[in-house]
Amino acid sequence: MKKHLPISPKFSDRILSWCVKEELFEEISGDLYEYYNELTSKPTWKRSFLYWYHFIHFLQPFAIKKLEGTQKLNLYGMFKNDIKTSLRIIKREKLYSAINILGLAAGFVIAVLILLYVRFEQSYESYNPNSDKVVRITMDYLDGETLIDQDCETYHVLGPMIKEEFPEITDFARAYGLDGMIVTVDGKQFRESNVYAVDPAFLKMLAYPLIYGDNQTALSQTGEVVLTRSSAIRFFGKENVVGEQLSISSNPLKIVGVINDSPANTHLKFGLLLSYTSMKRTLDKRENPWDSNDTFTYLELTNPDAHPSFRENLSRFSDRLREEDYIPDERIISQGIKDIHLHSHKSYEAEQNGSATLVYFLLGVALLVIIIAILNYINLSTAQAINRAKEAGIRRIVGSSKAELRARFFIESVLLNLFAGSLSILIIWAVDDHYKSLAGLPENFQILTDPGSWYLLGTLLLTSTLLSGIFPAFVIGSFKPLNVLKGDLPNSKRGVIMRKALVTIQFSIAIFLLIQTFIAGEQLSFMINKDLGMNTNKIVVINAPVLNDKKQSFEAFSNSVRKRASFLNVGLSSTVPGLSTASMSSTTNIGLDEEPRDLKNNFFMYLIDSNFFSTMEMEMIEGKDFPEISNFEYPIVVNEEALRIWGIADPKEVINKKSTFWGRNHTVIGVVKDFHQLGAKSAYLPMIFILWSGEPDYISVRLSEGEVLDQISELEEVYREHFSTSPFDFFFLDQNFDAQYRADRQFQQIFSVLSGFAILITCLGLFGLSSFTVAKRTKEIGIRKVLGASISQIVNLLSKDFITLVAISSVVAIPLSYLIVENWLNQYSFRISINLWLFMLPTLLVLFIAFMTVFSKAYQASHINPAESLRDE
Amino acid sequence: MGKEHLGEFEELVLLMIVLLKEDAYGLAIRHAIKEHANRKVTIGAVHGTVNRLEKKGFIESQLGGGSELRGGRRKRLFTITNSGKSILEKSRDEKMALWGKIPELSILKIGGQG
Repeated sequence: MKKHLPISPKFSDRILSWCVKEELFEEISGDLYEYYNELTSKPTWKRSFLYWYHFIHFLQPFAIKKLEGTQKLNLYGMFKNDIKTSLRIIKREKLYSAINILGLAAGFVIAVLILLYVRFEQSYESYNPNSDKVVRITMDYLDGETLIDQDCETYHVLGPMIKEEFPEITDFARAYGLDGMIVTVDGKQFRESNVYAVDPAFLKMLAYPLIYGDNQTALSQTGEVVLTRSSAIRFFGKENVVGEQLSISSNPLKIVGVINDSPANTHLKFGLLLSYTSMKRTLDKRENPWDSNDTFTYLELTNPDAHPSFRENLSRFSDRLREEDYIPDERIISQGIKDIHLHSHKSYEAEQNGSATLVYFLLGVALLVIIIAILNYINLSTAQAINRAKEAGIRRIVGSSKAELRARFFIESVLLNLFAGSLSILIIWAVDDHYKSLAGLPENFQILTDPGSWYLLGTLLLTSTLLSGIFPAFVIGSFKPLNVLKGDLPNSKRGVIMRKALVTIQFSIAIFLLIQTFIAGEQLSFMINKDLGMNTNKIVVINAPVLNDKKQSFEAFSNSVRKRASFLNVGLSSTVPGLSTASMSSTTNIGLDEEPRDLKNNFFMYLIDSNFFSTMEMEMIEGKDFPEISNFEYPIVVNEEALRIWGIADPKEVINKKSTFWGRNHTVIGVVKDFHQLGAKSAYLPMIFILWSGEPDYISVRLSEGEVLDQISELEEVYREHFSTSPFDFFFLDQNFDAQYRADRQFQQIFSVLSGFAILITCLGLFGLSSFTVAKRTKEIGIRKVLGASISQIVNLLSKDFITLVAISSVVAIPLSYLIVENWLNQYSFRISINLWLFMLPTLLVLFIAFMTVFSKAYQASHINPAESLRDE
Repeated sequence: MGKEHLGEFEELVLLMIVLLKEDAYGLAIRHAIKEHANRKVTIGAVHGTVNRLEKKGFIESQLGGGSELRGGRRKRLFTITNSGKSILEKSRDEKMALWGKIPELSILKIGGQG
């Protein structure tokens, strides 16, 4: 029994002897041993557990060896010496140290900032503990089996039907978006753009527990409203507003709860929720619920694993509805809500979603920049190794082992990395706010106080220390001491070739990044300057009042505006260019005359008055603009894209053709030139313009030359005369339109910064390398000069090698960049064609910067007086 | 040494050392504490305390014999010093004096135990 010991005491004794004071070792190990033997009656696992439990509790200050003094750790002195000499070297070689530290710090900063951005983009819906279980159903429009369009809004009957049908669905929640509602609170009016009518389950499913109010009953009755905390404060000036009243479009509503604001990382943001039953009046009026799909539908699964099987069942269910002719050309599919932000780009999304491609692209670039920084370090330190060879040789001869020597150089890397890490924290702290606005992160996004950034930085530091430390440590550690001391420097061919290869890689990356930056910039300015098919300058768009003001007031308003010299024209419409497709209604199966009605494409409807085209300065390519009074009952104008879908080449052909939809017989009276409703990123949409005499949503006013601010206040004056109670909210059409390029602008800016950093780091490295080469060849240069070499010959001699490398890099980088850039550009419907100059210019720029870097050093070297450089031999 | 303070656990360990007489070493003290005071502590805690007590001069130690049970390693045996004895007495007297000043609680408590 006594001999049977599952834990080798030898092992634990060894650990003890390492960390416990020598004079205490015997009694402690003895006690532990005895204790262990006392435990024979216990099961083995318990024995081991108890043993180690007591063992670990011996690691207290009284028992542990001191690092210094008579009982110090064996290697302590060595470490101390290593750190001291490393610090001395860092201080002596100021240039190299600065280059290394700056390079690494820049790499860390870039990597941390980009990884944080990526983390934010991936964190969508993570606030919601149910997010794994919640799915959204969306519609696919089909032509036969070909997918034509995807729409994330569904029929409002689908939610309840699916809940009935599928046992794996525990609940459904619909959200019907209401845009631009006027909320009246105590006579004050507010325009609220993000209003949704939702089922009671919405609150639970999307994790918005009520702060005030009753979670059980909220939103179950008609006329109930839930406010977010900030809307409550905006409307009432206080948080707890349960029981208060407000009205939307003159319907009195009761507030039954207050919830937290939607977080920045959710795809569905809102300020006010309405009970879904409040919408019944609008919904029930429709005879056929399959006429219009206009509501988001969320479903909750019993558990996350049920999603794949639900998908299959849903597809069968959808086929059945298709066969029964409810949705003849559509299919219902589902997506997890976590996938919405990065992967869903359908029509009628609640907001412009992010892009997974962009996220991965940036991730890749961050990696490249870090690689450049680490390669830099490896390059410089191995190049410098020759200077350190004597130190290494002496150390070996005085008795240092290879491992100790490696440790010495490794410690140097550790120190440099630590300095770089601290510097990067400072830089991140300094650029924090600037970066947030650049990357489009929310204001309250915490960078330095987020533990995530510290983990990130820690991991980066560790990885970079290992990667950048091990290689030089091994190179220097393996020098043969005798050869080194004889002056036979290990200037191996292999080392030189490797350094050249690394420099080539660095420059290839830098060139690629700069090319991408140039192309992104070019594409952006192409989109901004592209002819939009209209004139967006000097147009002010007013959100139309939706209260009791009647049609007459709109006409009267338009007329009063037109009378003033400050305004050239006024147009009324249901949407304006620059607003998303969500602002338009769309209809499928629109054909001409006898042609079959099986066109599955979505045609977008633009309701306008007779002045809209002229106000926007849109060009009619055929037929007429809407006249004040038309000969036809339902005149429409179509755009060129609609003709393309109908397969009509000559615009003349469509004039006076009939088109039946919405139960009315329309007559085409004109064709308008395609204009960009969405930015130049997206293709033209097929559009149908309908002369509309109902209430518009937007009033567009073209200003004449003059002081814009005065004109705006004049406009407000006129507006007040006609609509006394509605708020005067306006925006500039061109600014609003440009906002669509925000993501592209951000991408281009982030990329410029990245490539700037990459080039900076690379050139720092090049500078270090060339100054090292020059230092090594000082004598050679001296001799050459004595023998009559000219300055230009020497500069040429010194820079030739590096410039060749950069040239090789460009040969590597250009074809690779071509592939990537070509791919990237294809995501734009209107893109620039690739031009050789877009590749040559960045390459030449890098070449020039590289040349200047090397040249500065070479020129300096060529001016050293040979008498000086040759003196000491 | 008059300034030295005697902690609660230190006092307990000191009492155990007196109790164990000739065989007071780390593990044995731990057992005694478990048996008489119904307290479970780690062996390390006992070692830490005796170390401190020895530094304060309340106990002294010598190495005793080893045994097969201990893998042949010797024990460190502790004995109480005079200053250790006097601090124990002082501690007891102080407490008795305090108890004397609160008769009601003292009676109640003793009664309760009886």
